[in-house]
Amino acid sequence: MTEYPPPLPAVDRLRDIHAVTDAALAHLDIEDLLGELLERVREILHVDTAAVLLLETNSDFLVATAAKGVEDEVVQGVRIPVGRGFAGRIAAEKRAVVLDQVDHTTVLNPILRDRGIKSMLGVPLLSAGKVLGVLHVGTLSPREFTNEDIELLQLVADRIALATQARLSETERSAALALQHSLLPGRLPVVPGIEFAARYVPGEAEGVGGDWYDVFTLGSGSLCVVMGDVVGRGLRAAVVMGRLRSTLRAYAITTDDPAEILAMVDKKLQHFEPSEMATALLMVLDVNRDVFRISAAGHPAPVVAYPDGSTSLLEFDVDPPLGARTPRRRRTTEIPMQRGSVVCLYTDGLIERRGVPLDDRLEMLCVAVRVEPAEDVCASVMKALVGAEPPVDDIALLCVRISNDGPGLPLVLDFAAEPSSLARIRTALRHWLRDVGATEAATIDLVMAVGEATANAIEHAYGPAGGTVTVDIRLEGADAVVRVTDAGQWRDARGHGRGRGTHIMNTTTDDFRVERRNDGTDVFLRRRIDR
Amino acid sequence: MTALGVTLTTRSDDASVLVVVEGEIDLSNARFVEDQLLAAITNRTLTVTVDLTAVSYIDSIGMRVLFALSSRLEVAQIGFKIIASIGSPARRVIEISGFDVIVEVVESDS
Repeated sequence: MTEYPPPLPAVDRLRDIHAVTDAALAHLDIEDLLGELLERVREILHVDTAAVLLLETNSDFLVATAAKGVEDEVVQGVRIPVGRGFAGRIAAEKRAVVLDQVDHTTVLNPILRDRGIKSMLGVPLLSAGKVLGVLHVGTLSPREFTNEDIELLQLVADRIALATQARLSETERSAALALQHSLLPGRLPVVPGIEFAARYVPGEAEGVGGDWYDVFTLGSGSLCVVMGDVVGRGLRAAVVMGRLRSTLRAYAITTDDPAEILAMVDKKLQHFEPSEMATALLMVLDVNRDVFRISAAGHPAPVVAYPDGSTSLLEFDVDPPLGARTPRRRRTTEIPMQRGSVVCLYTDGLIERRGVPLDDRLEMLCVAVRVEPAEDVCASVMKALVGAEPPVDDIALLCVRISNDGPGLPLVLDFAAEPSSLARIRTALRHWLRDVGATEAATIDLVMAVGEATANAIEHAYGPAGGTVTVDIRLEGADAVVRVTDAGQWRDARGHGRGRGTHIMNTTTDDFRVERRNDGTDVFLRRRIDR
Repeated sequence: MTALGVTLTTRSDDASVLVVVEGEIDLSNARFVEDQLLAAITNRTLTVTVDLTAVSYIDSIGMRVLFALSSRLEVAQIGFKIIASIGSPARRVIEISGFDVIVEVVESDS
């Protein structure tokens, strides 16, 4: 048993407490910081055990985070529900609790009971009136904790709370930022005839929020463009955003109707995260038909700049936000996609500025969006609407430019040598052939021939590690000339009926050649496009 | 049933099976199409009709599925018929690969 020296005068003890937040601790992470603080608490109060339990985010459990004299608590990951046991009672009642009897009626945690602790004192860690956790100390011999002890421990607890809160917010901020950065597409997809540029800026006040954007292609060859904003801030909003983003991607594989996708995302959100809300805008670009279909869940409408110099907010019916519990059927609007136009999607952080009417900000946005390369549009929008003033809310911005390059320019497509690339190659090829005025028969034949050549490369050129296939299409007089290149070595076809592809390429083109090089294979195809 | 890019709908009575295919058939989904076609046919089937009217693309791998099916049906003495509009991409491939020589190809189901 410890022999306690006579208590120090209160003034001396208070001086000791100042040691609890000295500068030497500033660089420690939260676990080390708490460990160091608990060691000092043990010395100042002459106790045998000291422990901190922190309230878990998104649950009502206290989790042992640091301990001295009862290290097992942390190692074994002790969890105490708020309201039950010793620590749970302190958190629930937000006040100090003294125990002079430690048994199963007063203490939930067997580690404390088995350790032979006789007396305990615990105080809440409070930050702005909210419970952050619990700090408790114990002695192996019976001890009557005095009012002075209680005040002293609470004083220490307040300092710990302050330091902990600061560390927690910092950890949460960096975690949210890391999550946000990992979820925003690092590289936007390369789609012939369409150009993208994007910006994301975290808010000044509370850092990262739940804004996100996403661009991906579907098996049908359509292109999905997403802009969304989860209500709330910080790590929690970033986590919900991450889930929404993958949910949306998952449903987009099953259908390409934006309203249907949003309806299912909404259903999932309401079922699994009923307290969350988000706005979202989903555009599916059908490059074959030059239209895009759009559906919005409480999200601001995109701004479109047209080749004639005019700019306007896209007009269509906007449905309620995701998670808003409205039984209404969501709507998809089909809008012609004008070649040469620029579509600008954004989150409300871009247009909301305290003390400035929304219409004025939208007007500024309409002026800034012009028919220019997507990167330039992003830059002018950020310059005009953000300037040098750090935004309060986070901002996401995505500009999509639909190219109006003249028909017949060479088209070079690089694709992963995977079966799923075939549909995209056909889509791009049909698009190009339609632009150069190819007849229907020529289109059918060329799509077929290129399809065979690319399927061959995908099936035979590479081993399991895969590779890429390049399709180069250009116009020579009335001929479309296609070269399909891979960097692999064709192996002999396996199975029966494999010569059929070669026969198809021979029959559907005016000229068909295969050139095997040391470092790959070229397939040349040529066919008139006017008959 | 729907897979990426293709949908198959089966209508059948005791003796005959009609499978309507919509979409595109290539390396990415030919296996799925084959499995669906085989699943639609039972031992009691007398005739099988595959409607390719709404197929906008089929490549040699897709044709391989049809060739394989036709030989299995021939062994089982089950009739086989294809519906494909003249001038359509599917009809073009069928003619190029000579499938119309071994299987009856019609313009519409009448």
